[in-house]
Amino acid sequence: MLASRLIPRYTVRPVVARSTLPKVVSAPALSQWSRAYSASSDEKDLVIIGGGVAGYVAAIKAGQEGLNVACIEKRGVLGGTCLNVGCIPSKSLLNNSHLYHQILHDTKNRGIEVGDVKLNLANLMKAKESSVNGLTKGIEFLFKKNGVEYIKGEGSFVNEHEIKVALNDGGETSVKGKNILIATGSEATPFPGLEIDEKRVITSTGALSLEKIPESMLVIGGGIIGLEMASVWSRLGTKVTVVEFLGQIGGPGMDTEVSKTIQKLLKKQGLEFKLNTKVLSGDASGEKVQLSVDSVKGGKEETLDAETVLVAIGRRPYTAGLGLENIGLETDERGRVTIDSEYRTKHPHIRSVGDVTFGPMLAHKAEEEAVAAIEHIKKGHGHVNYAAIPSVMYTHPEVAWVGQSEQDLKNQNIPYRVGTFPFSANSRAKTNLDTDGLVKMLADPETDRLLGVHIVGPNAGEMIAEGTLALEYGASSEDIARTCHAHPTLAEAFKEAAMATHGKAIHF
Amino acid sequence: MASLAAVCRATARLSSNPAVGARAFTSSSRCLAAQNFTMPALSPTMTEGNIAAWNVKEGDSFSAGDVLLEIETDKATMDVEAQEDGVMFKILSQGGAKGVQVGTRIAVVAEPGDDLSSLEVPAEEKAPQPAESASKGGPAASQASGSSSSQAKGSAVKTSGGGSYEHKLPLLPSTGHLAAQKGLSQEDLSKIKPTGPNGRLLKGDVLAFLGTIDAETPATISSRFEKLGHLDLSNIKVAAPPKKEEPAKKEAAPAPKAPVVENLEINVPVSLSKVVEVQNKINDTLGVFLPLSTFISRAADVANADLPPASRQPTAEELFDQVLGLDKVKAARGTRGVYLPQISAITPSSFVSAPPSKKSDIIDILTAKPKKRASPPVIPTVPGLSSGANVFSLVVPKAEEERAQVFLERCKAILEEEPGRLVL
Repeated sequence: MLASRLIPRYTVRPVVARSTLPKVVSAPALSQWSRAYSASSDEKDLVIIGGGVAGYVAAIKAGQEGLNVACIEKRGVLGGTCLNVGCIPSKSLLNNSHLYHQILHDTKNRGIEVGDVKLNLANLMKAKESSVNGLTKGIEFLFKKNGVEYIKGEGSFVNEHEIKVALNDGGETSVKGKNILIATGSEATPFPGLEIDEKRVITSTGALSLEKIPESMLVIGGGIIGLEMASVWSRLGTKVTVVEFLGQIGGPGMDTEVSKTIQKLLKKQGLEFKLNTKVLSGDASGEKVQLSVDSVKGGKEETLDAETVLVAIGRRPYTAGLGLENIGLETDERGRVTIDSEYRTKHPHIRSVGDVTFGPMLAHKAEEEAVAAIEHIKKGHGHVNYAAIPSVMYTHPEVAWVGQSEQDLKNQNIPYRVGTFPFSANSRAKTNLDTDGLVKMLADPETDRLLGVHIVGPNAGEMIAEGTLALEYGASSEDIARTCHAHPTLAEAFKEAAMATHGKAIHF
Repeated sequence: MASLAAVCRATARLSSNPAVGARAFTSSSRCLAAQNFTMPALSPTMTEGNIAAWNVKEGDSFSAGDVLLEIETDKATMDVEAQEDGVMFKILSQGGAKGVQVGTRIAVVAEPGDDLSSLEVPAEEKAPQPAESASKGGPAASQASGSSSSQAKGSAVKTSGGGSYEHKLPLLPSTGHLAAQKGLSQEDLSKIKPTGPNGRLLKGDVLAFLGTIDAETPATISSRFEKLGHLDLSNIKVAAPPKKEEPAKKEAAPAPKAPVVENLEINVPVSLSKVVEVQNKINDTLGVFLPLSTFISRAADVANADLPPASRQPTAEELFDQVLGLDKVKAARGTRGVYLPQISAITPSSFVSAPPSKKSDIIDILTAKPKKRASPPVIPTVPGLSSGANVFSLVVPKAEEERAQVFLERCKAILEEEPGRLVL
């Protein structure tokens, strides 16, 4: 999930600072003091650079397959962006801030009267950290369990088979691998002209650990990351304005109808939107951070200011310090490591998966690729079905989709049939007093084969799994409609939307 | 799953006789002899199995879909179905046979209508060791592991003859429903070409068969999904190396710049005469000989403490620490260095006659020679330590010039003034 991968704190670790120190020049007389460089002579079956979602999954899978595997990670903890400064901490903040918001605004009409409600931001952050710590420790345990050697340090290519590692604890080692997997992930793209200090001008990383609730916040970029962070701080009391270049929020992949629906709902929650607006420049020198913006078409220049500016304009592959140039590996114009369909780079024994290469920057996509890459190495065959990769935005209500959107199909002149079902007609949503949103299905008008599913509504992120399964098996909307769904559940809305696609819904 | 076609496909791969493989797909008359029927691999990992029972006797005819025999593996008991009509000619491994290797001949089958009395039992092909093919690794292994899907496809996509397809069961709810509604028999269904993932029969396939929709539509949609199922790796525009370097450097300000650091050599002349004095004194009074290196290492150790920070951009780590307020906790001022000076001796003669810096004369002024900044005097040195004057030097990145200079000055001060304190 885009939402999943916020900023990497990766950029530079103390190790790197050390490596910028001078090389110790030892005179002959002092040679006995020169630091000893240990180099393990044995060659690993697989060396993985990066212990994020792609890297650690590959490492565990390789361990399970009986490969002798080492995983190099410089953050000091495993899990990468996703676990440390992405999906996981953001979900903690989203869930708990939603609870707080609900207690404040949504308990009276449920018959619950709550006294004094106070927010303790420090404890909110502590809850987040304990979730993160538990999960990252868990991976370390899985490494031990599956015999993965964990090397804490920054790896860079010496040659096609050897990787030099500047260890986090000082010193240096090198490791050789018959196979090498590049899984170094991505980092937040900075906004030119605005220097990120993670205090006033922040990326998602800073947005996950602000020390106080800002009075106002400007979010550059109304994609998934921007909207999730905007939701968190808006619920805690910040006045949030989202500036988006495109004509819709949620990024270009979100179905336009769904995007409009969620925009209305978020607006009701207090978020403000400026669509079709480009940010011309930013200035962080004053008391408030100022952005000068203009309509995309021009002519509506204005200046916005806020206590905090969140830069959420996307992420870019991260290969700094990796030494790709030492082994002649290429990246494309956007910095992605070039690969073939089996994730091989120019050197067939070096593969690359996850955010650092092609495809959507989603943790679950990286995971799938990691497993497929190991299967290629071990069994000679692996595959990821890119036509069935779900996306989820964890706002409230959630937004989730899989397959093609209505505008995709329209643009490609592909005929389709639409079926929708609103949650306001679903019994469970009604009893939960949580009836915003709808399920929308797109199917081929002739064969009824499912082409895409788009959901905005409570628990959309869990419900999309059914749509993904249906796509994976080539199901028609009738297949979904003929499958029994428990009553009363939100999932019934999914079934009813399927009924509406090839025929008529019962309850609407 | 365990259709005979699949079986024969696996067999074809394992045996060296192509006719066996061909048999699965065609009923051509050129296969006059009876065919060997070998132990099928029912899963990619299966190497041997037990024959639970034969459902046909020698001389029995069977038709496509009939269960020929049951095979037991360590995991399950599975039926092996015939893909085509035929006659059981000879059963060579009777029911109850244990540990039959995959690829071993277990029966001989003939075409329907063949005269069994005139048929010859073909010679057994070499039963290949399954381990052999597995140990080939690489592409061979890939073929084997990919086989579960490709086998399935093989059975479904078989197009020869009248075009008969073995469909995965159970049928999708929509497909089964439609078939029942339209009164399609098993035989009708087996004529429909499936277009779903892994050869699954879809609702659209049945609709196309019934003529309700365009016959080509299901295949068109499938090819579209096939395309969407892969990463689009066409038209990759490889970044021109320098072009890529530039924006990366500009935007990633805190990114490590280590590889392109410009190095600078800093030299400080240090006299070790005082050290030698102390050394001799200790040797005389205590009878202990301390090598010069001990003094130098201890001086370096002291001098490394608390050096001024290098003038560089704060790293993202430091910025993050600032966000968390950790910078005040951590000793932010000076940091410990890791320098070791390189020492070379100055030959006594050259030290005495160190060339004086040349002053510019009238000719230089008149010729307007670009005046070079007076470079520090180059002192000719020889490698090794001298008990007199030495040059301590360090090669450091430009950003650390000050840091290194402080370090060397400290070394000089310690060694020239009070070397005794280093050891006493």
